[in-house]
Amino acid sequence: MAVATASSLTLSDYLEKLPGTSFRRLYQQPSTTLAIFRRMLPSLAKSFVRMLLYMDGPLLLDTLDTMVVPDAKRQKDQALAILRALHVVQISAAVRDKPQEVVLTANFRNSFRLALEGGGRQNSFGVPSEKPVAAGIDVAFLDRFARRKWEDILHYVVNSVGLPASSSSSSSSLTAAAGHDASGPTKTVKELLLAGKLVEARHGMPGGVGITQMGFTFLLQAANAQVWTLLLQWLEAVDAQGHGHGHGNDGASKVDSVDMLSFLFMLSTLELGRAYDTNALTEPRRNMLPSLMDFGLVYIPPHDRTSQYFPTRLATTLTSSGGGGGGGGGGGGGSTGFRSVRAGFAAATANSVTAAGLPGGGSGDNAKGTILLETNFRVYAFTSSPLQIAVLALFVKLNQRFPGMVAGKMSRESIRRAISYGITSDQIISYLAANAHEQMHKYAAAQHRPVLPPTVVDQIRLWELENERMKSSRGFLFTDFETAREYETLAQYADEIGVLVYRNDKKRHFFVTKHEQLVAYLKARKKADQA
Amino acid sequence: MVRAIRGVLVECDPAIKSIIVNIDRENHDFVIEDLDEQRLVIKENMMEALKRKLEDRLKETQQEEEASDSN
Repeated sequence: MAVATASSLTLSDYLEKLPGTSFRRLYQQPSTTLAIFRRMLPSLAKSFVRMLLYMDGPLLLDTLDTMVVPDAKRQKDQALAILRALHVVQISAAVRDKPQEVVLTANFRNSFRLALEGGGRQNSFGVPSEKPVAAGIDVAFLDRFARRKWEDILHYVVNSVGLPASSSSSSSSLTAAAGHDASGPTKTVKELLLAGKLVEARHGMPGGVGITQMGFTFLLQAANAQVWTLLLQWLEAVDAQGHGHGHGNDGASKVDSVDMLSFLFMLSTLELGRAYDTNALTEPRRNMLPSLMDFGLVYIPPHDRTSQYFPTRLATTLTSSGGGGGGGGGGGGGSTGFRSVRAGFAAATANSVTAAGLPGGGSGDNAKGTILLETNFRVYAFTSSPLQIAVLALFVKLNQRFPGMVAGKMSRESIRRAISYGITSDQIISYLAANAHEQMHKYAAAQHRPVLPPTVVDQIRLWELENERMKSSRGFLFTDFETAREYETLAQYADEIGVLVYRNDKKRHFFVTKHEQLVAYLKARKKADQA
Repeated sequence: MVRAIRGVLVECDPAIKSIIVNIDRENHDFVIEDLDEQRLVIKENMMEALKRKLEDRLKETQQEEEASDSN
């Protein structure tokens, strides 16, 4: 909230900015429609899509209204707003005498039917490679590969923190350790991190870069959100270049962000542990593969660079969780699959949903938990991972380090420093909860208490509150309405689509977080009034 | 005619709000619209400067509190 400036790019934000033509092209691929359906839609919107999918003609909006219980009008309007923003449905303009109708856009309908029925061009879901798979390339290998690549990237960001002198003992040994075992990400990845303002050029830092507020937010995100942040950064970089060069390639072919996005969606539908045929890909897509390998999304066997590629778990779970689309429930199977690898990502990969929702539930996760938190604010972490230690040092004052363990204490000072970096108390709490040690879970279960000591959790929140005296949200103030009716209808519409933050009926103005749909609504109304 | 003005909605307690209004009084370059006792709309590009100024003002009054609970 208070650090709205630090929020990193999300998939839904990126998609909402795309023009309709891009969506028409995206939806030519069945895999894309499936990915959008799984990842971006809340469950009510999914129901609407399922209902409309095999309908011959358009559906009257009034009919749709009667299918939704009156209490859920708000959810219904939000679902429709999302469907419209993603160009999944079209709603005819409100004209007198002619009732409004809703229909799936042609490309989405056709492709989604193909995705479900399995017809059409095979290409959309990847072509498996005919060649034999080299021994040793199995799921475990791919997981190791992806983890190493991704940890390299996280290391690079963490090492740019440049911890203050108070914890210099741990930070110096940490930089040394990281310097030995991590070769660091490739140059293109480093450039992306710079371009995405996750790090910025700064003198006197290891590697010449320092972390930014967005970088901190990035570190504490769930792994899946991190991957998307980086990928979207990549797409934006390509957009900015116009028809620039491919990353690190000859750049002869034109790179196109819509096609890239479509390719990413396709990757997310592939099967883990299977080899796919590189030659079935178009040339621009083939050129993306080396960069995707830098991120750890695909693995290309060194003995056979030109004909095979393997998607890793980072790629196949891209669209698994419903986190990006405004709270929709995602494909359950996929997200549990991801957890096992996430547990392996030693640090910085807390998933706030599991942390908050399932204390002690996901046993696969908790087995790897390393952190003990006491009511006196002391923190012990049984880890020797430089990555996790560095992340902890962001908000804990570490003062002792042993082989395989660090100890420290959270204080007002250490939390305030973290908050000044742009880290929120919720991020800290969910990180602690997601990485809580097995003993914490056992104790909590025996005592019927929450995993984290409530006093500590409350205090962290209070420290944040006293630091952030004001809550700010970016957006638009709508003012100077001519009539009460005009004000009333627009304010109500804003409320229904879920963008309204504040309204003052006496002064007839209100504040919203987004304005595009309201402007469109105003225009449509004006037209209808004139007609 | 309806207008949409880009800005940042700031919600805070009345004491903080009065400090912000006070800061704005010098040049009138922060506040776009004074909504009510606890809300203001601030120019987007001035948020950082405002936060800094507010922090400075608060430091003057909060010194003791910081010292008292430092253990």
